[in-house]
Amino acid sequence: MAGAPSLSQPSGWRAWLLSPEPGSRWQARLGRFYLGWRSFTRNPLAVMGLGVVVLLILVAIFADFIAPYSPVIGGDLRTQRLLPPSETYWFGTDDQARDIFSRVIYGSRITLWVIVLVALIATPIGLLVGTVAGYLGGWVDTVLMRITDIFLAFPRLILALAFVAALGPGIENAVIAIAITSWPPYARIARAETLTIRNSDFIAAVKLQGASTPRIILGHVVPLCLSSLIVRVTLDMAGIILTAAGLGFLGLGAQPPMPEWGAMVATGRNYLIDQWWVAAMPGLAIFVVSLGFNLLGDGLRDVLDPKAAK
Amino acid sequence: MKQLPKFLLSAAMVATMATSFSAVEAATPPDTLVQAWQIDDIISLDPAEIFEFTTSEIAGNTYERLINYDYKDVSKIYGEVAESWSVSPDGKTFTFKIRQGKKFASGNPITAEDVAFSLQRAVLLDKSPAFIIGQFGLTKDNVKDKIKQTGPFELTMELDKAYAPTFVLYCLTSTVASVVDKKLVLQNEKEGDLGYAWLKTKYAGSGPFSIRDWKANEVVVLERNPNYDKKAPLARVIYRHIKETATQRLLLEKGDVDIARNLNPEELAAVSKSADIKIDSGPKGGVWYLGLNQKNPTLAKPEVRKALKYLVDYSAIADTIMKSKGEVHQAFLPKGFLGAVNDNPYKLDVAKAKELLEKAGLKDGFTVTMDTRSTADTTGMAQAIQQTFAQAGVKLEIIPGDGKQTLTKYRERRHDIYIGRWGADYQDPNTNADTFAANDDNSDNAKAKPLSWRNAWDPGPLTAKTRAAVLEKDAEKRAEMYKELQQAVLDDGPYVIMLQEIEVMASRKNVEGVVIGPSFDTNSVAQAKKN
Repeated sequence: MAGAPSLSQPSGWRAWLLSPEPGSRWQARLGRFYLGWRSFTRNPLAVMGLGVVVLLILVAIFADFIAPYSPVIGGDLRTQRLLPPSETYWFGTDDQARDIFSRVIYGSRITLWVIVLVALIATPIGLLVGTVAGYLGGWVDTVLMRITDIFLAFPRLILALAFVAALGPGIENAVIAIAITSWPPYARIARAETLTIRNSDFIAAVKLQGASTPRIILGHVVPLCLSSLIVRVTLDMAGIILTAAGLGFLGLGAQPPMPEWGAMVATGRNYLIDQWWVAAMPGLAIFVVSLGFNLLGDGLRDVLDPKAAK
Repeated sequence: MKQLPKFLLSAAMVATMATSFSAVEAATPPDTLVQAWQIDDIISLDPAEIFEFTTSEIAGNTYERLINYDYKDVSKIYGEVAESWSVSPDGKTFTFKIRQGKKFASGNPITAEDVAFSLQRAVLLDKSPAFIIGQFGLTKDNVKDKIKQTGPFELTMELDKAYAPTFVLYCLTSTVASVVDKKLVLQNEKEGDLGYAWLKTKYAGSGPFSIRDWKANEVVVLERNPNYDKKAPLARVIYRHIKETATQRLLLEKGDVDIARNLNPEELAAVSKSADIKIDSGPKGGVWYLGLNQKNPTLAKPEVRKALKYLVDYSAIADTIMKSKGEVHQAFLPKGFLGAVNDNPYKLDVAKAKELLEKAGLKDGFTVTMDTRSTADTTGMAQAIQQTFAQAGVKLEIIPGDGKQTLTKYRERRHDIYIGRWGADYQDPNTNADTFAANDDNSDNAKAKPLSWRNAWDPGPLTAKTRAAVLEKDAEKRAEMYKELQQAVLDDGPYVIMLQEIEVMASRKNVEGVVIGPSFDTNSVAQAKKN
């Protein structure tokens, strides 16, 4: 009836997007994006992951409007301390008589901030090191890859711990420490991708046209490595959140009274048996957000990785 | 499906075994007291080296000292190994008569020789607590002449100044003055180490219990000493190392231990509801305080120091975060010490603090950092203080760190504010006066580094007053002098003293007679029993 013709004869904007002969670069790109989106939405778990991430971003942006109380100023120690979840305090209150719900809400800002900063610092470093090493080869490759090996040889949390201990505690230093420890895998992936591309005909063609090495790397190699790197970074987000939370738990990440989720779990540990909500609520937040990023990463891999598809 | 009956059978077997085992383990033996405690601080069992909370208590239960005091009334000093003592007219020579007929756990008799050897040994080995005896002018070179055996049951001790006799006697009640079995120790001497290597893990004393075994971070086992005058009712006391407080609580509730020592306020509140568990507590000689570094120009203003004292909600902290672990106390001498000032003049008063800050020209407040050890107690208090400081516009930034980091920074006086705990070394008021109210040299390379030095505070005339108080013989006059010192420090000192520590034990109802003494070495199980 109504559905049959629309399938065989895509109408309007969809036809424009799926046109086999796109009129412009933009049309072609949007078309690719639309196809990717279609295969992405076919995976309900991935959509759920995307939902969690979008929710995290919205919550972080509108924290001021959502949170009913201040995340750092507590109530009366004598009467409002360690109250169980109720209508007034949805997630209960902690040992400083602060509303845990408000703290979890504001904590999303810190988490998001850490993720974004780490991604912004670590990805370009990894990408550049990997593509340069892979494209140039020879001694440059050897030197860069051995440096990467050295960083890979340390367990991530331990190395981050050492950096924080040297730089001093604080969330900024935690971000730097995590970024320093998370770029090596990206460099490895970028290098592997580059090795498969560097001898392609189109690279040879640009070379013959006289393109300089930086131009080839930045203009032709890097864009092709990006998709697999995005997948990897998204999958790593969960690990970054956990490392940040781990540093917070050990008292080396956020400074009190910042509502950092890991630090909140650390305080809650002292009240685990009777006042379970103090540790459980921020723990739940860490769990949900990590799961969200993992699901999103899985979905993105299915879409972006041409080798894995079909 | 064939497997199912077999599986059910084995599951049933496991279940019955589990229940029967738990039934067997549910109670500790009637002649054995089992305590769950964090004993990871043990370094040595040698009384000449013992300076930790745990070992002090163990030494208190296993060694006898020359002098001791009544745990209920600290001012009552009595001879333990000593029968009597006298002071020479010039106040510099103490003569001790030793009780006759006493024996060590090994069976060797206790003589003046053992006592003189023990005191000399502490000075000669020169470990952390050696200063408690050494401060009377005793050094490695002269100790053998100054502490002399003058008869089989008599010895003398010569000091460099005429100190207040109570000061000297209190120092001799410290664990470092424990009497060790000279014969036994010297039998195990290696290369002239005075038995140091051996005694580190072994025992040579005469207390109600003897130490049978110590496994690091696992267990300490004490066994009744049959040669002790007042035989202990219990045959055995076991300290088990249980790190997590939640585990301690579960073990106590199940009856696997008789006493849990490290429960936090919430856990104490929870177990106190149980019909099988009771809670005992007693004040200790430790105080919680903030140290304000006078190198910071803002904190150096007298109005600011005073304002901060009005910006801590003492009673709310004592009632909630430190409930049953601390009580409000603001003078540097803990309750129970000679001359301790027990009225607490300061309470949270934001208006007054604001007034003082305005006088100091800081109407809009200021920003300051606080080095905070990442433990539940310290961080909890620090955050509560942060909130009350903020009410007067003082922005407190908490710098978290582990104990070693914060303490190192504090000892190099690179902090702004330090939050921590100070424990008295011995029962004489000089122990705290010396560190809170006296500072002989405030320069960066001073030799002695008391708390006043750490906070770069020059107490001015108070130093001389502290030195004079230690020489005052009349106890009442002496108490008066310490009261003056405390008042002066309360008014103007760079410390916000908040709480006096309270020791809490949660024990099974059938445990009786465990004494919580005023210091860390006076928690006694000597007359404890189980009904």
